[in-house]
Amino acid sequence: MKTFEEKWTAWLDGQLTGKELDDFEASLPDKAAAEAEKLEVQKLGTLLKRELGARSFSNEEFFSHQLRERIARETAQARDGAKSTWWTIPRLVWTGATSLALFLICAFVVLHGTKPVEQSEYLTQILNMRVDPAVSPNATISVFETTKQDRVTVIWTEGLQSLPSDYAAK
Amino acid sequence: MQTETTLAQADVSELDLVKRCQAGETEAFDELVTRYRTRIFAMIYNMVHNEQDAWDLAQDSFVKAWKSIKRFRGRSSFYTWIYRIVMNVTIDWLRKKQVKGAGVEFDDAIQLREVNPASKTLPKADPLPFERMERNEIRQKIDKAIAQLSPEHRAVILMKETEGMQYHEIAEALGCSIGTVMSRLFYARKKLQNLLKDVYENI
Repeated sequence: MKTFEEKWTAWLDGQLTGKELDDFEASLPDKAAAEAEKLEVQKLGTLLKRELGARSFSNEEFFSHQLRERIARETAQARDGAKSTWWTIPRLVWTGATSLALFLICAFVVLHGTKPVEQSEYLTQILNMRVDPAVSPNATISVFETTKQDRVTVIWTEGLQSLPSDYAAK
Repeated sequence: MQTETTLAQADVSELDLVKRCQAGETEAFDELVTRYRTRIFAMIYNMVHNEQDAWDLAQDSFVKAWKSIKRFRGRSSFYTWIYRIVMNVTIDWLRKKQVKGAGVEFDDAIQLREVNPASKTLPKADPLPFERMERNEIRQKIDKAIAQLSPEHRAVILMKETEGMQYHEIAEALGCSIGTVMSRLFYARKKLQNLLKDVYENI
């Protein structure tokens, strides 16, 4: 459903035909006034076409030259931009991988350097043997270890009435 | 619609040129620019009323067209397609500048001349000083009247009256419905009728 404005515009421009044209013209309260306005709009159109349609600018060739240079420059910039992006990603990957490798190497070296001293075989055995409280109720076992030079383990026992047989066998 | 298209240019179809542009041929784009630069510049000038701004906006429009030409599918004519870019660029610029239409941005120093299609082969007849003054006065009145329209109304009236574009072409170029085009045309004409009555009554 066309609005009045749309129908009026179409009528002025000669775009209404058939029944639509008849209906619209019949709906006009003053057809003579409408025809006069149509003529005015045609004059306005002629004026605009004559005065504005003829405008130009004087440096067409320079305009094209400037445009060509700008397009060439922007295309080159875009190409360089794409190139630098292409190089950035591998560079980032390479840097990341190298950093990770260095970190792993450092971590390996540090962990190996501070490897905790293994527990003494003897201490393990004594602790595993569980001294019988009925036999040695007040037994205490202390262990001192040093790894500064050669590994030395000192086992200090107190109140121990007998050593486990397995240990003795060692 | 083909004012700048010469017979020599006409044998190279627009679609061929567009296809060559899409393949990256800047020479083909240069050819399209040559065909449309005058009309596009004039259209933008009639919208913004400043030669330097019109120049820059025309350049921006063509650069945008070049960058997006691969997306042109040929569903409309190249002219309608580039007009859409031109209108987007110009209307955005006008909105940003918040031109209220008081004719404040006129460039009096502009040296406009009439396009005479036969100017290369025939001597140009310069108008008499009095006639030139009168024409300048009329143009100033028209420019001031158009400057009082909103950017959308300016675009519609100029495309219809100076370019002779059809409703559907204008709608396509502005990205709106045909009904909107007709409605805008109605209000733009009414306003210009009031503002320019004394001018067109005497022609």
